[in-house]
Amino acid sequence: MAEFLQHCVNALVLGGTYALLGIGLTLIFGIMRVVNFTHGELYTFGAYMAFVLGSLLGLDFFLSLLLAATLGVALGAVIEFVLLRPLKGADIDTTMLVMIGAGIAMQASEQLTWGGVAKMVPHPFPPDPLVFGPVAVAPVRLFVLGVAVALLVAFYLLINRTRLGVAMRATFQDPDTAALMGVNKGLMYTLTFAIGSGLAAIAGALLAPIFLVYPTMGDLVSLKAFAIVILGGLGNIAGASIGGFVLAFVEEFGAGYLSSGYRDAMGFLLIIAVLILRPQGLFAAKERIG
Amino acid sequence: MLKLDGITVCYGQIPALRRVSLTVEEGELVTLIGANGAGKTTTLRAISGLLPLTEGSITFRGQSIGGAAPRVVLGQGIAHCPEGRRVFPQLSVRENLEMGAYLRRDHAAVKSDMERLFHRFPRLQERLQQAAGTLSGGEQQMLAIARALMSRPKLVLFDEPSLGLAPNLVEQTFAIVSDIRREGTTVLMVEQNAYAALDMCDRAYLLESGQVVQHGTGQALLANESIQKAYLGA
Ligand SMILES: Nc1ncnc2c1ncn2[C@@H]1O[C@H](COP(=O)(O)OP(=O)(O)O)[C@@H](O)[C@H]1O
Ligand SMILES: [Mg+2]
Repeated sequence: MAEFLQHCVNALVLGGTYALLGIGLTLIFGIMRVVNFTHGELYTFGAYMAFVLGSLLGLDFFLSLLLAATLGVALGAVIEFVLLRPLKGADIDTTMLVMIGAGIAMQASEQLTWGGVAKMVPHPFPPDPLVFGPVAVAPVRLFVLGVAVALLVAFYLLINRTRLGVAMRATFQDPDTAALMGVNKGLMYTLTFAIGSGLAAIAGALLAPIFLVYPTMGDLVSLKAFAIVILGGLGNIAGASIGGFVLAFVEEFGAGYLSSGYRDAMGFLLIIAVLILRPQGLFAAKERIG
Repeated sequence: MLKLDGITVCYGQIPALRRVSLTVEEGELVTLIGANGAGKTTTLRAISGLLPLTEGSITFRGQSIGGAAPRVVLGQGIAHCPEGRRVFPQLSVRENLEMGAYLRRDHAAVKSDMERLFHRFPRLQERLQQAAGTLSGGEQQMLAIARALMSRPKLVLFDEPSLGLAPNLVEQTFAIVSDIRREGTTVLMVEQNAYAALDMCDRAYLLESGQVVQHGTGQALLANESIQKAYLGA
């Protein structure tokens, strides 16, 4: 029982960041129909920014998280503006190839700038785990979960309760009619990509003090983010958040009770199962983006 | 008020409109009739800035709006109620109406405008929180009309508002369009239902294969023999 609860806690912490990654990618796919192969690199970028700001520049931990997320938003906006905007109207294969190229270029520049040796990011939380009855959890992990959940809620409110969110959903459902309502489609696309990228960057920055930071850290994450998007039923925000947690639970319990060596494979077994048994994803695609 | 001067609009290389000119004066109800594929929708989409002009110009109240972005055209006071209603299916009725007022910053007035529209369309108020995609066809058309009015337009473009509606709803829809004009909003309406359109309008243009082939008062076109043969089933 204690072991079971411990796995649950671990899965929740991991699931929070997976959900952030998943909704970021879902937002971009749902509104822009862009399969974003730079998502994992934005995650890596966020982690390196946490390292640069927190470790190299010695900024306050919380401030460096905030700045890392902001820089992720800015980088996302630049990518959209420089790479995607000129491709407006190009077919999905072209966009996909450009994004794959951009992802490779980003990873190569990280390798060039920081070398292959993994970096550590310090955090100000006490190292001793907090013990709640049978389960123990490091304070930093609890913080990560708290921030992730707060961001998920904020994102939900942004999409469902604000003028910007309504305009984004309208653009997704019918771009031309949204334009007739006065929505600036180009701006919506830039914002969407920037927000999605910012979510990936903050996920990377949040996990940086828990895991190590290295140039190829985004590869697996990128694959997992796609898995989450598929789980959630392509383009469904709520589905992607739940999908993030589902993936984390499957990984954590698979690793705990079956074989820890296959942790990363568990998620993909799940995807294969889902694609065979329920190809529309775990959640109906009907309720897309909001 | 609105003046199209020799506009040509192409899809790829193929022109869908060829040197179309038409005018709409303030306070008028003008209709654009023609067979399926004649270029009626294309004309409205070009006015709204959804399609670029290959040649010609469009002016609205003395300002050139040819080639302007849709939000600029809307900002000048032209709302477009598109063909097939095109409500946002997964947004609620309220959110659809809010999208109609997207460019407005006078929130209090937006609210009172919405209240006023509820008097005209009580069904919308009953279904305020419901996803627009779950409304019936007639209700969706009412929502599309109400949404267009939420921008407080000076000119509304209606694209086949009666399309796909039951006969009693068709009449109701035309009555609403007439009301809107009576209340001082200028209307340019596209219709395939030529008889009703000619009967209610001040002036009409007939499009064939992307060109204006006839224009005149509604009554004159109703009395025209070739139009009677081709479009009125006489
Ligand atoms: N998106 C499009 N791409 C290519 N051709 C189009 C497109 N939309 C309309 N057309 C063509 O342009 C012509 C005019 O169409 P349209 O303006 O929709 O006619 P109407 O509204 O009078 O039925 C038709 O020949 C139609 O096939
Ligand atoms: Mg049409």
